[in-house]
Order: sequence, then structure tokens, then C-alpha cells
Amino acid sequence: MNLKIIFKVLGLLLLVEGIAMLLALAVAIIYGENDIFAFLVSSGINLGIGGIITLLTRNAKKDIGKREGFIIVTMVWVVFSLFGSFPYMLSGSIPNFTDAFFETISGFTTTGSSILNDIEALPHGILFWRSISQWLGGMGIIVLSLAILPVFGIGGMQLFIAEVPGPTPDKISPRIKQTAKALWGIYLLFTLVETILLWIGGMSLYDAVCHSFTTMATGGFSTKQASIAYWPSPFIQYVIILFMFLAGTNFTLSYLAIKGKFKNAVKDEEFKYYGVIILGFTGLITIGLLLSSQLHFEQAFRNALFQVVSIVTTTGFATADYLLWKPILMILIFALFFFGGSAGSTGGGIKIMRIVVLAKNGYYELKRLIHPHAIIPVKFNKHSVDTKIVTNVLAFFMLYMVIFFVGTIIFTLIEPDMESSMGAVATSLGNIGPGLGSVGPAENFYHIKPVGKWFLSFLMLLGRLELFTVLVLFSPTFWKQ
Amino acid sequence: MKVVIAGAGEVGTHLARMLSNEDHDIVLLDDSHERLSTVSSEVDLMTIIGSAHSFSDLKKTDLAKSDLFIAVTPFEERNVLACAMASYLGVKRTIARINNQEYLQERYRAKLNNMGIHELIYPESLAAKEIVASVKQTATRQLIEFSNGKLLLLGVKVRENAPVLNQTFEDLAIEHQHLLVVAIKRDNETIIPRGSDSIKNGDVVFVVTTPTDQSNVLELMGKTQFDVKNIMFLGGSRIAQKAVEKLGEHYRIKIIESDRERCEEIADRFSHILVINGDGRNLDLLKEEGIEKMDAFVATTGNSETNILGCNLAKTLGVRRTVAEVENLAYMKLADNTGIGSIINKKLIAASYIYRFTLNAEISKVKCLTASEAEVFEFIAKPGAKITSKPIKDLDFPSESKIGGVIRGNMGYIAHGYTQIQEGDKVVVFTLPSGIKKIEKFFK
Repeated sequence: MNLKIIFKVLGLLLLVEGIAMLLALAVAIIYGENDIFAFLVSSGINLGIGGIITLLTRNAKKDIGKREGFIIVTMVWVVFSLFGSFPYMLSGSIPNFTDAFFETISGFTTTGSSILNDIEALPHGILFWRSISQWLGGMGIIVLSLAILPVFGIGGMQLFIAEVPGPTPDKISPRIKQTAKALWGIYLLFTLVETILLWIGGMSLYDAVCHSFTTMATGGFSTKQASIAYWPSPFIQYVIILFMFLAGTNFTLSYLAIKGKFKNAVKDEEFKYYGVIILGFTGLITIGLLLSSQLHFEQAFRNALFQVVSIVTTTGFATADYLLWKPILMILIFALFFFGGSAGSTGGGIKIMRIVVLAKNGYYELKRLIHPHAIIPVKFNKHSVDTKIVTNVLAFFMLYMVIFFVGTIIFTLIEPDMESSMGAVATSLGNIGPGLGSVGPAENFYHIKPVGKWFLSFLMLLGRLELFTVLVLFSPTFWKQ
Repeated sequence: MKVVIAGAGEVGTHLARMLSNEDHDIVLLDDSHERLSTVSSEVDLMTIIGSAHSFSDLKKTDLAKSDLFIAVTPFEERNVLACAMASYLGVKRTIARINNQEYLQERYRAKLNNMGIHELIYPESLAAKEIVASVKQTATRQLIEFSNGKLLLLGVKVRENAPVLNQTFEDLAIEHQHLLVVAIKRDNETIIPRGSDSIKNGDVVFVVTTPTDQSNVLELMGKTQFDVKNIMFLGGSRIAQKAVEKLGEHYRIKIIESDRERCEEIADRFSHILVINGDGRNLDLLKEEGIEKMDAFVATTGNSETNILGCNLAKTLGVRRTVAEVENLAYMKLADNTGIGSIINKKLIAASYIYRFTLNAEISKVKCLTASEAEVFEFIAKPGAKITSKPIKDLDFPSESKIGGVIRGNMGYIAHGYTQIQEGDKVVVFTLPSGIKKIEKFFK
């Protein structure tokens, strides 16, 4: 095991986090609030420790094997969340370590579950740090480091696969570095455009930036307690819907579209299903809302579309409390908890591509019963899917559901309320944000017992790194030489 | 530089790996998902599943923005067609792998160029050339000629009978102006020697010298040249057939091949050689065919293990010259340590040959030294290049590289510290891989 390279990467990434904290420090200084000290100290800690580690490991060998890769990716997310919680604690915004860690990992994993009761009371710098943590976590800390740090040899692909969502992450240019740069470039561009649009729509520049960060990351942290419902403007809501939708789309497709190959992007099979699922659920819920409430059509449509896109892409913004809707509509929303964004997007969950492969494989299994000797490959985008990938998808789905059920059982022991437990576990595992019952969109996670918060934090990490990367560390074969 | 490689076979993957490590952007095209996925998990490159001769698949590789297209699928006609199509799609330069001597003739060159096929590579022929060279040059491990033999690089294994043992290079240089040691391979490590170093027993020494002094150098290294007359080939592969063709009719050649049909084919093609149908691993058969009386033994079956073992066997039976084709890169060092005279690797030969097209400086020859990561280049000093500005000793030349000699007009010279390189000179440079990028700058 090449321990030196593991520490080297961690050290360098602490430097990156320290620099991100300097951005929050700048915001704190602009607003002149009492969080300046917290950011000064925590960025100092990050830069100091990161610097020392980097110096000590500067002659590390560049080879990153499979084992090192999994450890690096998992550790990076844990270490980032640990160090990222300092500003909350030092500024007194979230004095308790458990709460601060929960808030930070919920940020980096782009879950968006919060323990804050009164968001507006916090200083601007802290809220900005909250948003930027999601933004960094959205496209991925490792992907960012691949783009800007020159430390990785061939092991880069290993790390890329371990972090990027979806069963088969693809490169959009020959070098991993360029691919990472291109992805971050598009991410940055979309964030910028959304900021401008939200600003035009009437948000303050500060709110526009914060919300763009958390939309593009499909994170869902807001600077307001009421989330997006704070801005009743249809324009703002449609802008956010559009960018949630883009953030939940495979960024490779956005890259193609920007390069002028718009047709190729639209023809993508996963994109089609992604669209169909969103439209289908929106249609059903719109009809449901029209029948069960006094809303006029546009309002019902907008509320339905916003909630559907927000949940499918695992963002977790809210403009309406779906817990107040009729049970059938609530169940529809809960079903969406298990879909997730597209592969290669910033969204969490199971991912549309996996759902499609699962469904097709299930259907073909029926055909195979009638024609036992037939060769019926699962096709995706007109190509046969390798059986290894189909097996991987089946295993992923099985593990995901097992973790959901076992997690719910464990969580019911901690919080004896089945609906809330199911909601909390599903929302953490899917990196969504709001759950059901006592952790619904209008509530928060403050009242959960500390052990419950640690448990949910672990589920968030599992979900963000798509189970395997984290779970493999717990398998005995991993540690055998 | 952006390079598209079609065909993820042995040569293709080796090239892709090498060029990717050299910071080139590689797109690898192949129709087998499995082959590609093994490469892409190990090498930083983009893979595309598709056929080398399909317009739509070729377009996916972004050829219009690429500098070099290399077609190295196993099928000659596919490679030629793919290169023509790639040129049409806008790539700057194409290289096709071929299996047919005819295409290499100078008179067809312009025709092929018109079709968009700019360079040809024939790995089997290149490998056969090396075999012929090592059979003819019995005293050396490797012999590379520059500019038709005006300057030579000899790779010699030094044993305890060599007069040069334990002399420092400073002393050696005073006594012998006509040779320059550019590298030593000692214990699997390639060393660029300094003045205070000396040659030890068991070193493989790479020496640059002029043809007139060749015999002096060999004497100094304790080597004697002997004539080869009887050659036994183990395995009648394409490389073997090519080598037989190049060797001509002055040798007494026996080929042992286990496949009957191939035996008939070879016997039909060459009437001056004896083709034996049998298993080359059968010692009785080898003895019956007089392996002990052979001067040279060349093992070119498709199986590296068989080749290495076959050569070792021949060695123990007293064959003085052995040549083994070893395609498995991991075995090359092993094979080298067992004392086999020369090791041939088709992939490395082909890759070195193609390698020059990826460098910016003008190069007339690239060769890799067997069983060592080092390479030799023959650069052409362009007008105004940095290399021509000062004498060599003042150039601040990278320490992992060494200038071996200079060819000016019709004469080859050994490089000394005070040598001033002039424009138009051909310069023989020896380098470890880490020095390639640095020396490239000197010749731009």
C-alpha cells in the first residue's frame, strides 16, 4: 500500500479546501460579520496542515493502485467533511460537533438535509460556506483535483471511476485531466448563467450565487428557511427548474450540445427516459393537485414540476410541502426518491440509466423464459450492454434496497417513527434532502438523536460514492495482501 | 500531439501506452469492447468502439483535429483503406501497417501518398532485418548503423578476457580517440557513464565507433568475429520466412516447424533450405538434425517461452550465436540475463519506428536498445537549432542523454567535448526516456 500518495493527495486537497474557505472569508469580510475569525482560523488550519503534509510527502511515488484509489476517494470525503465543519463550530453558528459534521457532510455529499432551525439568523459567510461546500461536492472533489492538480499518474482514471456517478463513466477527451477540466468548465459556465438569470429575476446577487451553487450541485441548501418558496416569482422558479434539470443530466451530453452536436445529445436514451419520467410524474401530480386543491392550472403545474424535478435530480429544494398533499401524490413523490439523476450528472440516487437497464433486463427475462436458447442482450443506446455491467447494476440495486431496508430497521430503533425513518434513510442514501414525516420539506433534522445523525451521515457518504467505493473498504478481500 | 490509433492489438496497445506516457493525447479505436476495456483501465487514453474502416466510426475519433493516424489492425487491406479514409477526413499524417514488401518500393510511394497513405510500417520485415544483422554480426549483441554504416553503435557484452576492464573512461579516451562509450547496462540498469566510471565484467557496453575502427574496438572488448554458415530456425513464422528471404542463398538453413501445412508452404517458397516437420522442443529431433554443428540458432515460434528455452538449450549444446523472438515484455530482461545473444521484439521495433513521427525535431532514425529502456536517435541539426550554437561541452546537455557522434557529409566522427555541431549534420544521440523531451528542444 502506497501510504505516502494517499497522504499526499489528502494534503493537497486540504490546501484546496483552505482556498475555498478563503473565498468564504472574503464574503465574511465584505459583510463585516462575526464569522471572520472562524474563517481565518479554519482556513489557517487547512492550509497549515495541508502544507505540512504536502511537504512531508513531496517525493511520493505516483502509482495509485486499485486499493489506494478506493481509500483516497473515501478518505477525501471524510476528511473534507471533518475540516469543513470547523467554520460552523468556531463561529458558534453550530456549536455542537455532531451537528456541524452532519451539516458539512450533508453539504459535500449534496444531500441538503439541514439541522438549522433559523437559517436567516446565520452570518453571510457561513451560509456562503454552506453553499460552496455543496458546489465543490457536486462535480466532485476528486474530479476537481484531477483537473487542477498535477499529482496523478495513470491512477487518475481509477479515482475518476470511483467518484463519478453511473455504472460506466466515460471520458470526453483522451486525457483524464482534460476530461475533468471540461466537466468543471461546463459546471462553472452553467453556474454563471444561472446566477445571472436569478439576479435578473430579482434575487440579490448573494442569494443568486448561493442558489446557483446549490442548484448545479443538486444540493438543495438555501439561504432561506422557506427554501425557494421564499421567492414566489414564477420566473425564478422556472429558472431553478431548468438548471436542476440540467444538473441532473449527464454532463457529457451538455458537453456535446455545447460543441454543437445537439442532435446526438437529445438522441441519448437515458436522456429520453429522464424526460419521460419527469413529464409523466409531473402530469399525474398536476392532475392530482387540480382535483384536490383550489390551485389554478399554471400554479399546480409549476408546483408539481418543481417538486418532481427537485426530487428526481436529488436537489431537494421546495416550493410546496408535499406532505400536505393527498397520500397518493405523496407516494408518487416518495417513489421518485429511488430514481435519481442521470449517470454522469451531479445527482444522487440509483440513476435513470440503472433503472432502465434493470427494467429492460427484467422484461427480457420474460422473453428468455419462452425462448430459453435465445440470445437477448440488454441494449442501451443501440449497443449491447456488457453482461458485467448488467450484473453490476443488479448488484447495485440489490445492495441499495438492502441498505434502505436494513437502514430503516436500524433507524426505527433510534427514532421510533416508521414514516420518518423511511424518509430519513431514503433521503440520505439518495442525497436528496427532505424526507417524510418529521423530516419533511418544512422540517429539519435538528431533533434527531446524535447517533442517528452519525448514521445518516454514513448513508450520505455511501450514496454519494455509489455504495461500492465505500463498501469495498469493509470487505476482507480488500485488506488481504 | 493528438494521435488516433486503430487496432488495439499488441503493437497498437504498446504504442498507445508509450505515447500516452509521453504526454500525447491518444484515441484508441477497436471493435472489441473487451480489448479496449483492459487498456483503458491501465492507460490514460480515450477508447472508441468501432471499425477502423467505417466513416462514421472514424469521425467519432475527431480525426480532423488530430495530427497522426496509425492503423495497426492485423489486416493489411483494412489498414491501407483506413489510412486513405482518415486522410480524407482531415488527419495530417497517416501510418499503415502492412504485410507486403511490394508496397515499400520507392516507385509506389508517390501513388500511395496520393491515396493518403503517408508512411508504411512492416513490423515483420523490421524484425527480420534485426535477425539478419545479428546473425551476420556475431561479436556483438546489437549493431546499429547510421547513415548507411558511416557510424556504428555496437552493443557488446564484456567478459573477463577484455583488455578494457577497470580502466576509467578518462584514461580510455586519451588512448583511444576512435571510440566513445555512450551507455552501460549493468544489473538491469542502464547507466550513462561519466569520465570516472569504468567497465566491469558482465556489462553490456554500447560503443559508438567508425567502421574502420570496428575491429579495433571488438578486440579491445575481447570479442572475435566468426563466420556463420549453418543456421537453424525454430518455428517458421512470418518473421522467420522474411529473415530467410533476406539472408539469401549463402547460408545453409534448416527450419523446424510443427505445422505441416506451413512446412509445405515454406518448402514451396524457398528451394535452398531444408524444412523439417516436427516439434522443436524435442531434443532428439534437434540432435538428429545436427543442432550441435550449427553456428546460429534463431527461435521465432509464436511462443516466447519456447523461444527462450530453445535458445538456452542451443547454447548448452554449443551453438555460439542465438537469437530469440520474445514478444512478452516481462520476459525480456529474464531472457537477456540468461545469455541469449540477441532478443527480438516486434512490438518494440515497430513502436520505435513509429515513435519518430511524434517528435517535432527532424529525425532520420530511432532505435531502441534491446532489453534496455534507452533509445538512440539520429537527429538532423536544423539551421538555427540550439545544438549548433556552442561546442558540446558548453551546451548544458541533459545528463540522461549523450551525444555519440556526428555524420558530416560522407564521414562519421566520434563526438568529443570540443566538437562543434554544424547545421545539416546528423547527430547520433543516446538517451534514457526521461531525456527525450529535453533533447528534442536542442534540435528544433
